[in-house]
Amino acid sequence: MNKENNEENLNLSRRKFIGGIGATGAVALSAGAWGGKTLQDALGDLFQDHYQRMTPEEIKEVLARIERKAKSDYGAEIKCENTPPREKVLFGYALNIAKCKGYRDCVHACVKENNHGRDSQTQYIRVLEMPNGTTDLEKSDHYYNHEQVPQDGKYYLPVQCMQCADPPCVKACPVSATWAEPDGIVVVDYDWCIGCRYCMTACPYWARHFNWTTPRIPPEEVNPQTHYLGNRPRPRGVVEKCHFCIQRTRKGLQPACMDACPTGARIFGNLLDPKSEIRYVLENKTVFRLKEELGTDPKFWYFTD
Amino acid sequence: MPIIYFVRDSIREMFRGGMVYWLWLISLVGITAWGLGYYVEQLENGLVVTGMSDQVSWGFYLANFAFFVGVAASSVLLIIPAYIFHRVEIKRVVLIAEGMAAAAVIVAMLFVVVDLGRPDRMWHAIPFIGRFNFPISILAWDMLVLGGYLFLNVAIPFYVHYCHYCNREPVFNFYFPVVIIAIFWAISIHTVTAFMFSANSARPFWHTALLGPRFIASAFVSGPALIILTMQFIRRFTDYPVSQEVIKTTALIMTVALQISLFFVGVELFTDFYNESTHAASIRYLFFGLEGLDSLRPWIWTALILNVVGLIILMIHPLREKMLTLNIACISTTIGIWIEKGMGLVVPGFIPTPLGEIHEYTPTIVEYGISIGIFALGILLFTLMAKASIAIELGKVRYQRVRGANEQHTD
Amino acid sequence: MRRALFLFWISIGWPIWATDNSTDGGAVLSFVGYPDAPNFTVKPLKKKIRNCERCHGEMQHNTNIRVLEDAPHIDSLNHGNGRFWCLECHDEVESNKLQTPTGEKVGFADAYLVCGSCHANRQKDWYFGAHGKRVENWDGQRVILGCTNCHEPHEPTLQPYKPKAPPQLRVGLNPSAKKHQLPIIWPWQVINTSEANHE
Repeated sequence: MNKENNEENLNLSRRKFIGGIGATGAVALSAGAWGGKTLQDALGDLFQDHYQRMTPEEIKEVLARIERKAKSDYGAEIKCENTPPREKVLFGYALNIAKCKGYRDCVHACVKENNHGRDSQTQYIRVLEMPNGTTDLEKSDHYYNHEQVPQDGKYYLPVQCMQCADPPCVKACPVSATWAEPDGIVVVDYDWCIGCRYCMTACPYWARHFNWTTPRIPPEEVNPQTHYLGNRPRPRGVVEKCHFCIQRTRKGLQPACMDACPTGARIFGNLLDPKSEIRYVLENKTVFRLKEELGTDPKFWYFTD
Repeated sequence: MPIIYFVRDSIREMFRGGMVYWLWLISLVGITAWGLGYYVEQLENGLVVTGMSDQVSWGFYLANFAFFVGVAASSVLLIIPAYIFHRVEIKRVVLIAEGMAAAAVIVAMLFVVVDLGRPDRMWHAIPFIGRFNFPISILAWDMLVLGGYLFLNVAIPFYVHYCHYCNREPVFNFYFPVVIIAIFWAISIHTVTAFMFSANSARPFWHTALLGPRFIASAFVSGPALIILTMQFIRRFTDYPVSQEVIKTTALIMTVALQISLFFVGVELFTDFYNESTHAASIRYLFFGLEGLDSLRPWIWTALILNVVGLIILMIHPLREKMLTLNIACISTTIGIWIEKGMGLVVPGFIPTPLGEIHEYTPTIVEYGISIGIFALGILLFTLMAKASIAIELGKVRYQRVRGANEQHTD
Repeated sequence: MRRALFLFWISIGWPIWATDNSTDGGAVLSFVGYPDAPNFTVKPLKKKIRNCERCHGEMQHNTNIRVLEDAPHIDSLNHGNGRFWCLECHDEVESNKLQTPTGEKVGFADAYLVCGSCHANRQKDWYFGAHGKRVENWDGQRVILGCTNCHEPHEPTLQPYKPKAPPQLRVGLNPSAKKHQLPIIWPWQVINTSEANHE
C-alpha cells in the first residue's frame, strides 16, 4: 500500500518535475528571456563560427539573426547581405588635397551610411587641418571649427583606413578576426573579434576604432542596406573601421564619402581597370601616400594639381 | 590513487592555519570580491567605464600585464642556481619561487582578460575550435608561451612535491629536461611580450630593438626584489628555513640587473634626445611633457629616482647585506620598475597618436578596483600554493600507504 | 616704263591672289574630345535655364562691349578678371546656345566644350575622371557632373562655407591646452537607462 502510494507520489513528482522543466524551457526559448533574444539566437550568437569557415546556409542564418537583432535592439527593419567580391576588382582611392576644403561632408555622410552610434560618434574619417609647408602630422588640428573653411595658410588632409596591401593590423590579430578580402578591402568579422585592441595599436593611420559602448541609433536613422562585413549594426566591445562602404561598392556604387564630397576631391575605382579614373590619376598626377616608409603599401593616395 | 590523496591533502593544508592566517585569507578574498564587483560593473556597461579611448586604447590593465609577466619570468633566476649550479640552499626555495611565477602568470593573464572587449569570445583563440593566428600574431605567441609557462610552473612543483609526498626523490632525468625547458621558456615569455610591443612600427616609442633587453633587465630587478621580500615573509611566518645565501645571491643578481636596466634607460634618453626627431615625441611627453600636458612626468622621474636610490643601496656592499636597507632598495626598485615598465611604457606609446593628437589617459576607479582585486587574487593564490608547498617540504604532509588509516600528520 | 610698273605690281600681287582661299572648302580641325577617355554621359542640370530666345528671338544682340545693366543679364562677370565678356561664350545669333572660339554652337547641356576651350588641362582631367565627380557608380554607365553642375559660370570659384561638426571628445581625455575648448559631450560612465542595455 505504502509502496503504491510512494510510486504514485513519485510519478506525480516526476511529472511535475518534467512539467516544470518544460515550462522553464518554453519560457527560456521565448524571446525576452535573454535580453530580447530567443535562446536559440543567444546560443547561435555565442557559438557562431568564423565568417570564412561558415557554409552559405550558416551565413544565411547569421544574416537572418542579425536582422532580427536589429529589430529587437533598434526597432529598425534592415536587410543584411553578404555580397561577394567582384572578379578582377581591386579598389583604390585617391584624394586631391588641392581640392579638399575641409568641409567634413564626407565624415558625416559616412556616419549616416554606416550606422555609427550617434552617442559614441565613432567616425571612420578624420579630416586634419595642416598648416601649409609641413607634412608633420603633429602640427595638425583635428577639431577645427572655423566659421568658414578653407582657412588661409592651411590645407586639409582627410585620413581613413588605407586598406593596406600589407596590413599590420591583419598580422596583429590573434584570432584572425580581420583579413584582406580579394577585392582589397580589409574587413572585420564583428562577431569574431574578441576586443583585445592589438590591431588598434598596430595601425599607423589610427584607422581602427573600438566600440567602448553599445552603439545607439534612432530607428529612423538606421540605414537598412547593410552588409555582414560592413555597416550592419555592430555589438559592443569590438573593433571596426572603414570598409570602403562594402555594402555599396560591391554593388557598383560609390562609397558614401565620395558621394558626399562637394568639391570632387575624391576619386574611387578599380585599380585593375586600365581605363578607370583612379588609374589615370595614379599615372598622370603627382601622387603620394601617407607614411609609406612603414611599408604597409596603402591603397589610398593623395595627389595635387 | 596516491595522486588524489596528494591533491586532497594539499588542499586541506592550504586551509589549515591559525587565526592570523585565516584573517589574511579572508581579507584577500574580501578585496578580490570587491574588485570583482567592479568587474561586473565593467561587464554591464562596457569598457567605456575605463579611462581608455580610441586615442589611448591600452592602459592600466596592460601596464600591469607587462610588469607581472616580468615578475613571472624572473623565477628563472633561482632555477638556474638551484638546478644548474646545484646550490642546495637555493634549491630549497626554488619551488616557492616557481609558485610565485605561476601566481604572477595567472595575474598577468587575468589582466588581459579584464581588458578584453568580449571576454565571452575567448574561446575564439583556441586552435581548431577557434582560429588561432599562430605564428603570425605576436599576441597569439604570447598566449601560447604564457599558457605553457603556467603549465611548466605548476607541473614541475607538482611533480617534485608529489614525489616528496610519496617519500621518494624526484627522478632527475625526468624533471631536469623540463627544468631546462623552463629556463629558456622564462626568457621567452618576456621576450615575446616585449616583441608584442616592439613589433609595432606604427609606434616609434616601442619600435626599438632595445625593448626586449630592457624588459628582461627590468624583470630581473623587480622579480628578485619581490622574491627577497617574500622569502622574508616566509621566514617570519612559517618555520621554513630560508638561508641567507638565497637572499644574498638574489640581491647580487638584482644589483647587476639594475645596473644594466638603468644603463638601458640612459641609452634610450641619449639616442632620442641627441638628434631629436618627431619619433622622440613620446619620450619627450613622458619625461618633459608635450603641449602643456605632462601627467606622467612626475611619475617617471619618481621612478627614475627610486631606481637610482635602489641601485646606490645595492651597490654599497654593507648596505646590501643589511636587511633594512636591502628591503628599502627592494621596495623602491619594485615601485620604480612598476611605474617605468607599466604606465611609463604602455601609455606614452599612444601619445601622440599616429595622427599627431595628444590626449592623456587617467585610469578610473573601476580600473583601480579591478586591478587591486587581481593583485589580491594573485597574492591569495600564492599564499595557498606556498602554504601547501612549505608543508610538504617540511615533511608534514605525507602519503600513508595503509588504506583506511590515511590521514595527515597533524601539526 | 608704265608697262614695267604694271608687270611689277602684278608680280607681287599675284601670290596674294593665288593664296587667297577664303572661299575654298577645308574646315578647321574640330575638337572631338579624347578618344582614349572612357565613355560618359553628363548628368543633366536640375536648375532650369532661362529661355533667352523669348526676348532675343525678336531682339538682336548688341555686340558692343559694355556693362549690361538690364535684368536678367548680370551686371558683373566674376570670371576671367576682365579678359572677356558675355558674347565670348554666349552665341551672338542663337541666344539659347553657347559658342566655342571656333564658332561651333553648343547647347547649355554641353557647356564643357566651351569651358574646355580655355581650361584645356582641366577639361582633359575631367574627361579622364581626375577632375569633377562621377556620380552614382564606379562601375558600369559612367555618369559625370558637367562643369556647370558645380561651377556657377558667371562666378565659378567655389565659395567657402562652414564646416560640419568636429569630432567629439570624451570626458577624461584631457586634450591639449593649446587646442580648442570644445563642449565635451560623451561621458565615460554610461547611465543605466532602459535603452542603454542591449547587450
